[in-house]
Amino acid sequence: MDIVVCVKTNPDPQMVRIRNREPVLEAVPYKLGDLDKNALEAAIQVRDAVGGKVVAVTVAETNRKIKETVKEALAMGADEAVIVDDPAAMTLDQAAVATVIAAAVKKLPACDLLLFGEGSSDNYTGQVPSRVAEKLGVPQVGYARKVEAAEGAVRCERSMDEMIETLELPLPAAVTVVSEINEPRIPSLMHIMKAGSKPTQVWTLADIGVDAAALAPKQEVVSNLAEEQDRKHVLFEGAAAEQAAAFVDALVKEGVVGR
Amino acid sequence: MEKVECIVVGGGLAGLSAAYGLAGAGAEVMVLERGDYSGAKNVTGGRLYVSPIRGFYPELWEEAPFERPVARELITMMGDGAHTTFELASDRLAHPPQSYTVVRARLDQWLAEKVGEKGGMVVPGMKVDELLRKEGRIVGIRAGADEIGADVVVVAEGVLRLLAEPAGLAARPVDRDHALGYKEVIELPAGVIEDRWNLNPGEGAAQLFLGSVTQGMLGGGFLYTNKESISLGVVVGMQAMKADGREIKSHELLDRWKELPQIKPLVAGGTVAEYSAHAIPEGGIAKVPRLYGDGYVLAGDAAGLSLNALVTVRGMDFAIASGYYAAQAILRARQAGDFSAAGLASYEVALRDSFVLKDLETARIYPQFMELPRLFTHYPTAVSRLFEDVFTIGPGPTPSLMKKAWKGIRRDFLNLGTLQDAWLARKL
Repeated sequence: MDIVVCVKTNPDPQMVRIRNREPVLEAVPYKLGDLDKNALEAAIQVRDAVGGKVVAVTVAETNRKIKETVKEALAMGADEAVIVDDPAAMTLDQAAVATVIAAAVKKLPACDLLLFGEGSSDNYTGQVPSRVAEKLGVPQVGYARKVEAAEGAVRCERSMDEMIETLELPLPAAVTVVSEINEPRIPSLMHIMKAGSKPTQVWTLADIGVDAAALAPKQEVVSNLAEEQDRKHVLFEGAAAEQAAAFVDALVKEGVVGR
Repeated sequence: MEKVECIVVGGGLAGLSAAYGLAGAGAEVMVLERGDYSGAKNVTGGRLYVSPIRGFYPELWEEAPFERPVARELITMMGDGAHTTFELASDRLAHPPQSYTVVRARLDQWLAEKVGEKGGMVVPGMKVDELLRKEGRIVGIRAGADEIGADVVVVAEGVLRLLAEPAGLAARPVDRDHALGYKEVIELPAGVIEDRWNLNPGEGAAQLFLGSVTQGMLGGGFLYTNKESISLGVVVGMQAMKADGREIKSHELLDRWKELPQIKPLVAGGTVAEYSAHAIPEGGIAKVPRLYGDGYVLAGDAAGLSLNALVTVRGMDFAIASGYYAAQAILRARQAGDFSAAGLASYEVALRDSFVLKDLETARIYPQFMELPRLFTHYPTAVSRLFEDVFTIGPGPTPSLMKKAWKGIRRDFLNLGTLQDAWLARKL
């Protein structure tokens, strides 16, 4: 099965600090999105089960260290990588990213299954997978907690709030996965070393036949502020048992426990 | 076994400096860094002396992401309730800058990128578990289940020698030769920093503190101004800390110090952004192990290359220099096809001819001097007491200035103990 996994380079969320309610991205390392790793792991497992190839596809963005993350994907076990890297496509909104990815996928010789993380580690809009599926005219399911190859199809378990839904999609199809699907492997040194020699193609917009004008943003990020949280600053005093009781009372009153 | 020419264990300044030199000359080099990125595990007080290393990789230092060139040097002696600060503001320190404040997360990541640009491979998040030995020779490394061979391994793993010691390349670190540093990075706007330390825009200050900051134990406090933060910390000798049998935990020293009325205004309004702690080699030249052998060289903190000379504290310049000389020696060995100890011997020769081992030799007596009991108790207090006398106007008649000064000097500086100290200090 030829599987395409779409991945994104994200600032390491654990290293992002907030100053004046804005994220400080200076000196923050970039890495593969957490859910992207789940998608890759799922793809590798399907490939290892039924054979085929895993291609990681990504779009370069301003200041994001794309080559390293692609290498991370190759080290995990992707067979090839495709980077769309074009100065005219450095800051794209979700619609534009989907246009670029769909065009890149079309240029690939084969694609039976498209896998994505449910959302990115930074903005988590979760829009791109559905948009790509729409542009390619393939069926899509989200919240997959299990992905298996079936005869000419892919079988998925969807993690719904209070039930699990099992669906079979005819190929080609697109699936987005949640973190419970697997534990992504940590590449060994040997795999990291070999990743360097795996084929990586870098395509421009012209290569995939996309006109930069078609990528003009339809939305504009006006601000990106952290939520302001007012701490309640309640201090419980007295004996430990009294403190604990008062603490629990307060939690109940706040509706945090004992609903 | 898979094999590369050179493996560098540790992606700090020593390892990256070696890798940069090796990769730049076309050698195949792989840097293995335990942290999630270069600089993640490293802690510095905050200052890199660039004058000694400007000649190595000159193209690098012009664009390096330093914080501020240090234009003001301050030494504060802290007695009980009174501090005396000496301050040097010199144009000659800043133009051209002889030292810069640095933030390792930024500096090391940048240098790792530079290594990558030269064709070196930097693998972060990769813990090396063992140096592989075969017939007395280091032949590679083991990381997890993977064993990778190498012509030569640059052991730049840092102060703890978790790999070098079991492989028999260096002695197990002991408390007497090490100090423990605690540091907070406290964010402050650039303008506030410049106002607080009387700095021109972009310029920086370095302030060292001796005395009550360590409650009389070997060590001191430091403060370096970064672009939009200050690095504030305490270093305390491990043996002093243990021997003292004190109630206070070493990390509490920093908390208590910050609360002192003399320190509080310096950090007022700041937000603590980072907290870190690290061991520091302070054994001096006497504790530098053999620096090379069959199939390996030691560099940076792993080789014990750091120097606390009381008013100047160095380590990163030694790390970069040792990495540079390691690369040069390895390239010579590569040319000759001989990675045995004999082939790599030019490394130690070069270090002996350079400032690294020369400065450590000059400072041979420092570790011994630092153990003088009065250094961190009596003198900082006595200096402040002397100036207090000089500046005090009491209710009755005031003695003449010289009389006041002499009284203080006789009382605190001219007795058997202090003269013994002075006798030892003549060698500094």
